Amino acid sequence: MPNQDLPTRYGWVAQSFHWIIAALIVTQFTLGWMADDLPVGLHKLALLARHKSIGMTVLMLAILRLIWRLMNRPPALPSGMTAVERVLARATHAAFYVLLFAMPLTGWLMSSAKNFSVSWFGLFTWPDLIGKNEQAFELLRGTHDALSFVLFAIAVLHIIAALKHHFWNKDDVLLRMLPFNKSEKRS
Amino acid sequence: MMRQLALSLALCAAACLAAAAGTAPAGTAAAAAARYSADPQLSRLEFVGVQAGAEFKGVFHEFTATIDFAPDALGSSHFDVQIDVRSLDSMDKDRDQIMRGADIFDVAHWPTAHYVTHACTKTATGFTAAGSLTLRGVPKDVPIDFQVTPTAAGAKLDGTAKLKRLDFGVGRGDWKSTEWVGDAVKVSFSLLLKPRA
Repeated sequence: MPNQDLPTRYGWVAQSFHWIIAALIVTQFTLGWMADDLPVGLHKLALLARHKSIGMTVLMLAILRLIWRLMNRPPALPSGMTAVERVLARATHAAFYVLLFAMPLTGWLMSSAKNFSVSWFGLFTWPDLIGKNEQAFELLRGTHDALSFVLFAIAVLHIIAALKHHFWNKDDVLLRMLPFNKSEKRS
Repeated sequence: MMRQLALSLALCAAACLAAAAGTAPAGTAAAAAARYSADPQLSRLEFVGVQAGAEFKGVFHEFTATIDFAPDALGSSHFDVQIDVRSLDSMDKDRDQIMRGADIFDVAHWPTAHYVTHACTKTATGFTAAGSLTLRGVPKDVPIDFQVTPTAAGAKLDGTAKLKRLDFGVGRGDWKSTEWVGDAVKVSFSLLLKPRA
């Protein structure tokens, strides 16, 4: 059963979700920061159009990923972790899942409140979630920005933790999310 | 240069219209068109453009429409609509500011747009008018399809038109590209007509 999560490793589906969404989020930060520095105009419009299309892609993938995650148990945490480390690891992963939904949804709401409907790569237009509302837009923009900082912070924590597990604890936490690595350690 | 050309074209069009009016066989029509003006409070002029793949709607709040119309006197039916382009409202002030700017509507130089009809004809579902829209000083034929419903005090006139913004030079510089802002624009209007003196 190659598409089922193995007890010691993440399966190829979970790995694909992880790395594709990670790459899209890096793209989202890049586009978002670039657009932030631009004055209102065509270039900003174009960057934000891509940002919105990719954001809606992340939202759709997040739904599928959550379903997959609920149907497939992930590998167990390494036995050597302390109680605090376990809580921190679980909280970080839960926060990722919350943000995978909260970031696109606040972005979508922002676009609706500003009366700039969201297209998906020009192929179709998503319905507006709320009506035009200047105050709601400002509030949502603040929320979207604040959440992006939280996302950035936990992503940094996540990367540091993965490297720490690999180089310091010398366990398989990093390896089991890497493709093309068949040297499975049975715990 | 462009402005002179536009002016001479407009004068030529006006002269042609005057000549046509002069040669029209007066008195042959059984009925004369009723004279109306649109109630500014209850009339609406909208457009729908495409921006980054998604439609957006805008309105022009200020316009005057002088309408002569009767279904049995299409020969003497005539629309004359003056639109204050500065009154555009796309429900976002950033976008409105860009659209009023020099690269799009350039309202500082072209504060008004003008639509006049040359002829009205009956169609299967209503009427169609051949007419000319002058936007950013550029005149261009834009036909409109419309329906007329009688009301207690006058009539209701609902219509649509399709045009291409670049025909009028609406979009220069960056905005000339149709990659992020579509060329096609849909216009629709609903005018509540009251008899005019």
